[in-house]
Amino acid sequence: MTVLSESASEYLLAFADDEHLMGQRYTEWIGVAPFLEEDLALASIGQDELGHALMLYAIVAGDDDATIDQLALLRDVDDYRSSWLVEADLPNWEHALIRHWLYDAAEELRWGLVDESTVPGLADVAKRAAQEELYHRRHADALVNALLGVPKSAERLEVALTEVLPLALGLFEAVDGEAEAVTEGVAKAPFHSQRAVWETRVVQRFARIHPGQYTAPDQDRRRRRSPDFAPLMARMREVYDLDPLAVW
Amino acid sequence: MRTYEVFLKPDGRDGFRHVGSIEAANDELALVMARENYVRRAEGSRLWLVDRTQIVIGDEDFLAPNADKPHRHNDGRMVADRRRRLREDRK
Repeated sequence: MTVLSESASEYLLAFADDEHLMGQRYTEWIGVAPFLEEDLALASIGQDELGHALMLYAIVAGDDDATIDQLALLRDVDDYRSSWLVEADLPNWEHALIRHWLYDAAEELRWGLVDESTVPGLADVAKRAAQEELYHRRHADALVNALLGVPKSAERLEVALTEVLPLALGLFEAVDGEAEAVTEGVAKAPFHSQRAVWETRVVQRFARIHPGQYTAPDQDRRRRRSPDFAPLMARMREVYDLDPLAVW
Repeated sequence: MRTYEVFLKPDGRDGFRHVGSIEAANDELALVMARENYVRRAEGSRLWLVDRTQIVIGDEDFLAPNADKPHRHNDGRMVADRRRRLREDRK
């Protein structure tokens, strides 16, 4: 087994944490999505994202199950690197849909950063995930497209977009060790290099309801978790915390 | 919302089979939803969606008269019966 450098681990953990929490957020719509077909579709997309997280954690953990659990669920709060976008408790379905669109647009680009990675196994994971992202994007886009055509729905999407867009910029914040990770060939370029392409796509898609100027809060994903993180992690660990010594 | 009937074709020589239906606002949404609702575990390699309003329907009343025409069924039974009778007559 190859031991990853500190910078490679940091970079991949930031990516994995985003995938993990995003997957969790999708699964929260099980049983309460606006219609049955969408209920299943979101749960399935969430499962894909959890799968991506697992594959990334496995690369960092060297396929050791106990270490994967440790990375995914048992780190100190300060050791997570997730962006505020995926941590956020969003109030409504339209917010969730906007997050789905914005996140998957960024994620699709992200996999392109590591599809020739020097980290063993990562390029294969990237190619597989990119295939799935094509579909996730199509799903989000089809829904947004249909809803933008209905004035009342478009208004609600506009409110959601204005609220969620600033959070999404956190996806492009630097993480610790990123520059070294790029030098080592873990990734082709840092996350922020893709922000312009992503923003162009967002403007194209949401043209009529795009808020124009907006600013991102200083998320500093290396050091600070948003207020929504702790309750989210507590929910995810709820069963584990009942009896940490239980063997599954 | 429109209702679509979903048909799947598994790999190999089997043809398309009706597997259920789905509601969606348009064709593209119907496609992405059908993919998750019916092909999530690779149940088929090809998919047809048919808008229910486009289906040409032959209902039971239309088909019923053809249910009672045994003379159109060539299962050979009438010929076999006749031959058996002839054989027995000859004895």
